[in-house]
Amino acid sequence: MLEALLEGLVLVLQWKALAFMLLGILLGFWVGLLPGLGGATTLALMLPFVYTMQPVEAFAFLLGMHSVTATTGDITSVLFGVPGEAASAATVIDGYAMAKKGEAGRALGAALASSLVGALVGAVALAAAIPVVRPLVLTFGSPELLMLGLVGIAFIAALSSPGGRGMLRGFLAGALGLFLATIGQDPQAGVARYALGTLYLWQGLDLVPVLVGLFAIPEIIDLVVRGTSIASAAPAGKLSHGAFEGVKDTFRHFWLTIRCSLIGTFIGIMPGMGGAVAQWMAYGHATHSARNAEERRGFGQGDVRGVLGPGAANNSKEGGSLIPTIAFGVPGSTAMAILLGGFYLLGLVPGPDMLSKHLPVTFSMVWTIVIANVVTVIACFALLNKLARLTTVRGSLLIPVILVLVFIGSYTSNNHYGDLVVTLLFGAVGYLMVLAGWPRAPLVLGLVVGKIVENNLYISMARYEAAWLTRPVVLVLIAITVAVIVYPLFQARRRAAAARA
Amino acid sequence: MRSLLLAVLAAIPIAGLAQPTPYAGKTVTIIVGYKAGGGYDATARLLARHLPKHIPGKPTVIVQNMPGANSMIAANHVYNVAKPDGLTIGTFNRNLPVAQLTRVDGVKYDMTKFAWIGSAASECTILALRTDLPYKSVDELKKAGKPLVIGATGPGANTYDFPLLLKEFLGLNLKIVTGYQSSADIMLAIERKEVDGRAGSFTSIRPFIDRKLVRPVLRARADEPGVEQLPIDEDLAPNPRAKAIMALRSAPEIVGRPYVMHPNTPPELVKVMREAFAKAIEDKALVAEATKASMELNYVGADVAVKVMKEMLSQPKDVVDEFSKYVKFGE
Repeated sequence: MLEALLEGLVLVLQWKALAFMLLGILLGFWVGLLPGLGGATTLALMLPFVYTMQPVEAFAFLLGMHSVTATTGDITSVLFGVPGEAASAATVIDGYAMAKKGEAGRALGAALASSLVGALVGAVALAAAIPVVRPLVLTFGSPELLMLGLVGIAFIAALSSPGGRGMLRGFLAGALGLFLATIGQDPQAGVARYALGTLYLWQGLDLVPVLVGLFAIPEIIDLVVRGTSIASAAPAGKLSHGAFEGVKDTFRHFWLTIRCSLIGTFIGIMPGMGGAVAQWMAYGHATHSARNAEERRGFGQGDVRGVLGPGAANNSKEGGSLIPTIAFGVPGSTAMAILLGGFYLLGLVPGPDMLSKHLPVTFSMVWTIVIANVVTVIACFALLNKLARLTTVRGSLLIPVILVLVFIGSYTSNNHYGDLVVTLLFGAVGYLMVLAGWPRAPLVLGLVVGKIVENNLYISMARYEAAWLTRPVVLVLIAITVAVIVYPLFQARRRAAAARA
Repeated sequence: MRSLLLAVLAAIPIAGLAQPTPYAGKTVTIIVGYKAGGGYDATARLLARHLPKHIPGKPTVIVQNMPGANSMIAANHVYNVAKPDGLTIGTFNRNLPVAQLTRVDGVKYDMTKFAWIGSAASECTILALRTDLPYKSVDELKKAGKPLVIGATGPGANTYDFPLLLKEFLGLNLKIVTGYQSSADIMLAIERKEVDGRAGSFTSIRPFIDRKLVRPVLRARADEPGVEQLPIDEDLAPNPRAKAIMALRSAPEIVGRPYVMHPNTPPELVKVMREAFAKAIEDKALVAEATKASMELNYVGADVAVKVMKEMLSQPKDVVDEFSKYVKFGE
């Protein structure tokens, strides 16, 4: 095992593999930065080029490209409030709020440092999990995946503002998200639900246009209304020294960062959960660390922990989602499904062989993730302060550029103008929600988790009838769900008691 | 001598004129009805890389993805919106004739009227069961005591329709559990012993047969190298109506990767494309790439494809009605 680990490192450090990795990093840097242009689509476009490469070189290129998009996607989220990648949406909430306060540098530093920590944790998990990965994934059947989805929904409680009214709004937003997830052909009877007579809605709402509309458009409207630059509330001179502060924050809240990385890795391992869920659960968990009601209200206004959590999780899930892909040939996310195509193209068969005969190749992938992320973070830090300065540019100069990026990004996934309509529609919805003080995060969470919960509930009932409720892992997850819902209430009561005393 | 030279010199431009190159300097677009990364897309991109050298004029061939409504959007586009200039090719869901047959809302195409290039592969559906189960043949399956759990993705997919017809007409004791996100997830469920088997295209199940996780038991009508020794579901049908319905479900699989152009495309251009496809699929470089990627292409001509489409769409009403009860249009 140790020899394979070192052999993997040696394979990656050969100059050809390294060159391809750097090429991939360069590509991934821009793909992550530009909103809507997704890592998954680019992976598919790059696949034909790897046909003539050796496996280690090919994965150095593909993985180098993909693992970087999660890091640079956070940059756009922080600077402009536009999610650079679907997995970077949660970073927008506190990251962009920090940018508005003039702390863009700090937010970027925190996002980058937590991304690095997350990537390393994910890579270590991938390496460490190799002996236990098959029994681990095999234990998590449809009932367990259902419960994981419910745990995700329970995090809505954490994502809502504290207090009765906040919780109610959060749950209603979550319910709306769950409802929106039902749009499309249902997998049990093939009926097209809420397709409104159009072909466009047959397969349901696509996540990217919704996210881009919900988060980016209200911020753009806000920017137009304010008429200033993004960092209007900033005292002068504070920007350039922020990055290092952000890195220090990562270490100040080190255990939170590690915990969120582990959440991301774990969700990444579960096949079918998708990359978008991990970041919201990590954000929800980050809010648990608020020590009093004051701090809890600070989330959403620019608390650095709200950047650390999702920043770590969306990188660690990369290492996590490689695990079922390599060990079972079951992709943990869309991007992994495409990477799987790369496996076949190179003549590798995912499965037990990758964990025994081709173990050095598997470890070379681990090292690729590590090295690619380190290189990217170093490169980003060099550019960081210049990037942060963009937030001082006058809004009227930035808005047209952002708008173009937003609409192109929304259109490129399906080349269908329906996506633009969806973006505008959800832009309006998002703006109204912001005005009325309703949280948007639960809506996204409901949308993302809805299909997972519905399908797995149906399979569990059909296959096991009621017996699935008594499975051991399911019981553990039920306990966690209850804990996630109850904990904020418990915290609030404790704070109220402390305030009275 | 001089007259010979003159004759040769005169013949050259005439020879050039004799072979028109309408595709010289042009770009051909293959519109794929699915997102990047899936089987239809992979096949299209493979063809796009090798077609140019077999089309006179060596045009550039690119791929454009137009996903949505299980590729009905792409089909509608190629039928109605694309220009009939031979520069747009469409490839989409092989089950589109089912949508037309069962009169799904939104169908704006006619499969028999497309200018057919042909099919790049046949995709035979098989039923495979986990190897540790004792059933090796259909007879043993029929005598099975408790129901076998079969995992499926949803109505309209071969993972669902094939076992459904086996259950209804062959009387196999199957319990179909549907809702899995993809066929890879069903495979994982088989390993977990959550389900006992699945139906699916032979190409996608083959790596797992080789790994001895599952063994094939039954197949559908389409011919593909590797499935010859398996019994065909239609042959075991108890009556002609059942056989007709099973045949109707399997028919699209013969035209497994359909490639078409706009109905009004000039016939000479269609002919050029057909020849180019036939040659490209035999091309050594393409075959090598395909084998590496575990893809198997074999050209099914336009005449066979149109014949299959016409057969499907001219079935009597009572057959179509009963068919619609079981098979809906899906992926």
